[in-house]
Amino acid sequence: MNRTDALRVVALAAQAEMALVRRDGVCGPLLAQAARAAAGTPAELVLAEASRLVRAAPEREAVRQAALSLTRMGLHEAEASVLESA
Amino acid sequence: MRLLGQDRDVLAATGVDADALDDIETWARRTVMVPEGAMVVDAHAHLGIDRDGRALAAADLVADLDANGITAAVAFAADEPGMDGDFREANQRVADAAEAHPGRIIPFCRLDPTRPIMAALAAADGAGARGLKLHPVAQRFRPEAPECVAAVREATDRGWPVLFHAGFGARPLGDAFAALLAQVPDARIILAHGGRGDHRALAAVAARYPNVLFDTSIAALPDLVTLPPERIIFGSDRPYGDHAQALHLVGTAARVAGWDAAALRGVLGETLLRWIGPVHV
Repeated sequence: MNRTDALRVVALAAQAEMALVRRDGVCGPLLAQAARAAAGTPAELVLAEASRLVRAAPEREAVRQAALSLTRMGLHEAEASVLESA
Repeated sequence: MRLLGQDRDVLAATGVDADALDDIETWARRTVMVPEGAMVVDAHAHLGIDRDGRALAAADLVADLDANGITAAVAFAADEPGMDGDFREANQRVADAAEAHPGRIIPFCRLDPTRPIMAALAAADGAGARGLKLHPVAQRFRPEAPECVAAVREATDRGWPVLFHAGFGARPLGDAFAALLAQVPDARIILAHGGRGDHRALAAVAARYPNVLFDTSIAALPDLVTLPPERIIFGSDRPYGDHAQALHLVGTAARVAGWDAAALRGVLGETLLRWIGPVHV
């Protein structure tokens, strides 16, 4: 992932993280966008799974928590790409 | 069975691909190359039922530790101060959990320093507490306030480290902790969540006080990689975080910052155990 793409993923995943914390339905589109922006990287894998989770059962607390965990992993992967390219 | 800290059956019932989540969880754990013989100790877990509804039982915490190759966890009460507001009953439940799971759960005492603290402190001390947990946001006090300074002094006199919530919150924290440490300079302070609530200011304070550590629970990666690893200890924030994600964060930080095996050994457990003493499983 180049630095520009990584920054894009960081921004989207960080917004998705807070949306999940706030139980805001905007987390779904944000995660889908983040997964597409992370295409071909480990971040894509976890963000795509988080996106599938919140689409499957957004009202379930366990699902929200698992999606939050995956979103944080995706965020950290993208942050690592930014830091490693600096 | 749990998956990413959640009940696997509940997740599977929603139609999600639990096997795919299993694979991700395994990948996340393996991000950390745990050095041979290293002891992994979680510095930050809540037990009980928080007023926000989040809950974790001792048996579930121990199952999580087993599933993730973690030896032990520091645990303290969730935000359940009880009728008297002094956390005495919740602290006793944590102590009971530690007794039921020897060497796996390391009990810390939680307090509200705006309330009378001496009876609760004495009870927790007598029940085996090995540290103090304070939450300035939940209990609505300032770290530099006289009542908090008094609580930190009491803990320090008992040889306990004090773990502070230092994550989500609006107040600046650098000057607050500088003022606290100026009054109790021998206090041993653990700033939770990598001090993400005001990381740059807190890192500047920590540079002047060697007895300040940062835990990794729900921390920000850029904060962790700019700290010396000897100031960092592994934490999960269970049940708000989960162990696979917490291990993934530490493994990623180790890779980005270039920690060697000795540094990683310290982050994963050795540094914390130097403060709280050994665990005997």
